[in-house]
Amino acid sequence: MSTLATRRPSFRLSDFVLEFILLAIVLLLAFTAPGFASWDNFMNILRSAATTGVIAFGMTFVIILGEIDLSVGSAVAFFGCLLALITESLGNAGFSVELAIALGVVVCLAAAICAGTFTGWIRHRLAVPTFITTLAWMAAFRGGAYLLTGSFPITPYPEWFFFFGAGFIAGIPFQAVVFLIVFVVTWFISKYTVFGKSVYAIGGNAESARLSGINVARVRMAVMAMTSVFAVMAGIMVSSQIQAGNPTVGVSWEFTVISACVIGGVSLMGGRGRIWGTFVGVLFLEIILNGMTLLNIDEYWQYVARALLILGAVLIYQLQAVSRAAR
Amino acid sequence: MEAATLEIRNLTKAYPGVLALDAFSATFEGGNVYALLGKNGSGKSTFVKCLSGAVTPTSGEILLDGLPVTFKGPAEANAAGIAVVYQELSLILDFTVAENIMLGRFATGGPGNIKIDWKQTNAAAEKILKSLTIAIPVTRKVSELSVGQRQVIEIAKAMSLNPRVLLLDEPTSALARHEINSLMEVVRTLRAQGVIVIFITHKLNEIRGVADYVTVLRDSRHVGSVPIGVATPKVIVDMMFGETILQSRPDDLKVGDQVSLKVSGLTRRDKFEDINFEVRAGEIVGIAGMLGAGRSELLRGIFGADRIDSGSVTINGVKVDKPTIPLMKTLGLAMTMENRKEEGLIQIMSIEDNLCLASLNEISHRGLISRYLQAPVAEKWIRQLHIKVSDPSNEVQSLSGGNQQKVVVGNWLNTDPKVVFFDEPTRGIDIVAKQQIFQIMWDLSRKGLSVVFVSSELEELLEVCHRILIMEAGRIIGEVPSPETVGIEDLYAICMGENA
Repeated sequence: MSTLATRRPSFRLSDFVLEFILLAIVLLLAFTAPGFASWDNFMNILRSAATTGVIAFGMTFVIILGEIDLSVGSAVAFFGCLLALITESLGNAGFSVELAIALGVVVCLAAAICAGTFTGWIRHRLAVPTFITTLAWMAAFRGGAYLLTGSFPITPYPEWFFFFGAGFIAGIPFQAVVFLIVFVVTWFISKYTVFGKSVYAIGGNAESARLSGINVARVRMAVMAMTSVFAVMAGIMVSSQIQAGNPTVGVSWEFTVISACVIGGVSLMGGRGRIWGTFVGVLFLEIILNGMTLLNIDEYWQYVARALLILGAVLIYQLQAVSRAAR
Repeated sequence: MEAATLEIRNLTKAYPGVLALDAFSATFEGGNVYALLGKNGSGKSTFVKCLSGAVTPTSGEILLDGLPVTFKGPAEANAAGIAVVYQELSLILDFTVAENIMLGRFATGGPGNIKIDWKQTNAAAEKILKSLTIAIPVTRKVSELSVGQRQVIEIAKAMSLNPRVLLLDEPTSALARHEINSLMEVVRTLRAQGVIVIFITHKLNEIRGVADYVTVLRDSRHVGSVPIGVATPKVIVDMMFGETILQSRPDDLKVGDQVSLKVSGLTRRDKFEDINFEVRAGEIVGIAGMLGAGRSELLRGIFGADRIDSGSVTINGVKVDKPTIPLMKTLGLAMTMENRKEEGLIQIMSIEDNLCLASLNEISHRGLISRYLQAPVAEKWIRQLHIKVSDPSNEVQSLSGGNQQKVVVGNWLNTDPKVVFFDEPTRGIDIVAKQQIFQIMWDLSRKGLSVVFVSSELEELLEVCHRILIMEAGRIIGEVPSPETVGIEDLYAICMGENA
């Protein structure tokens, strides 16, 4: 076997600054925050990280691609409400509730894929920035959610539907399982597939990618659609938690999600970023929030903490980039 | 205005390992237009940069009207009276002509008054245009102007600083013929005002009507300046090239009978028209022509990178009317782009990834990329193309220009092509890397592949190709069937639009 095949980039401690800081915070909280260092609390963290977390993995692809998706928070509300409305209407029409929910999920997924594909398509064909299109979707989804529900929560769900929000599989919260599965799958896609490589290539230089024969349009549509699908998944989990379709959920989640990506080192210039980084970023935000709750700190301080985190992380990455360039 | 004098004494600029300008001495007199000629890399742009304040000369003196001047930056050069108009336009498209000309010096009611006095600003801009006999309304937005008019406004902007010396860096390269004429009118007006105009160009026929002297640079040295009257193409080409010894192509390269690429009636409006040619197996065909002749556009059209309006391409017997990159790639066509940084490579990706960009399907199985397929591929090209790499997982931007070019070539050879287009592959790379690129082309020919080679360096085409097509203004105007028998002077003269 060749020597190149086994060669790996050399391990540098400086590449794991964020991980070390997170570890330090975890240790600190373990000693100071009552109840932090327990299995149940860790599961709790993973569970509450799941909804924004799955979207963040999709957003990682979007940002690496050089795009943005502002609509994800509203999409969570909209698809949650759409699912509830379909379930209720079909139930009233005499369908069994299981079939109604299943049909509702299919419709939501199809609608989400169409919306994301459309965003990717006009980005490609007409060069409409995804910032604009998804800003429009953000308003449309939120408005749609209110219109569908008449601004009151719809509660058509049976007892078992609670499982998606609060159930357990082998002692692990269902949401945590979803979060970890999506993490592994997206990590694999980003690292080992032609699709993943194409996302990095387009984000790095779309013209070079096109001239190398990569189907830029298809990748853009697929990535935007994928993120919408993750928003639907988050919408189902949230609906299950609250046992309702509620138009007020998911407000400003897009910023939480983008923050997690940025903290994880995903470059808004496109072309750079790792799913692992986003995973760490999501956990970072969630652990801070969790620790502050346990320490009885006013929840509004979390915004200050998030601000410091975002700025601090970006400063670290910039300093690293500058020192690399100087070498 | 009194005529200016610009005297340059032993101007030298040394970069590590390279003498970019070697003891340049010359005197330029106001009221004259100087055409500055020289091959790529002869030191022209370094000369311009020294005068414009963009770089600091290593030694030597610049005297303007008898007084020595030195600049720490373009602003100081401007203040001293030297202005440069570059090829790339610097106008703000959404601003009006007056706003562009007066940018940074808008007239206000007086000191401390922050409100712009548009009447006064527009009047000042209009006065400048009038002095140059330019008839373009100052309130017109620049985006509404033609490229030629924009170039003229660029000159007007430079002239608003009242410079004594105006350098024009290939101002005509993007212009249509009638636009060139109005530009020349402006140049003549400037000459009448006693300004020294130094005009950098490749096109001899253009400067006939306007230049008074031809100043030639070769190998970083000032070869001489001659009055236009005695500057026949032969005189100029001799000055530009001196004694050139051409390398010769290896004689074991055989051209087969099979036609691997046939282009019929290919047209893209305003870019190229009715292009017909054939390339045979093992043949290396060069395309010569000046900047803007449509060479790159033609290759991109065939390759499917840009749309075409009519005509067809037949590759290995398959006729294609609407080329697209994925299709042409499947049919065995590869192309290394003119701008490797912007179009050929993804700078922030690794060397090994860049080597596999065009062949992701070959290193993957059902959409999954395999390290076991990718690593040997990367290693193979790094070895075969002699790419100097410390670690293939480093970003490609860490490589030198020549090595980057080889990565581009490797990326495309990896697609197992039958026909390979090289668009200016030697631009900005050193002489050793150049020879290696030629060697690659010859090796491809030995394997029976066809090569189309576009280069602005005519001696390269003469050295490498079996046959050279000559393009001018979007058409193939001639062919050199056996480059061995043709001198560089003749080819240069044909390409510059004059017959030697």
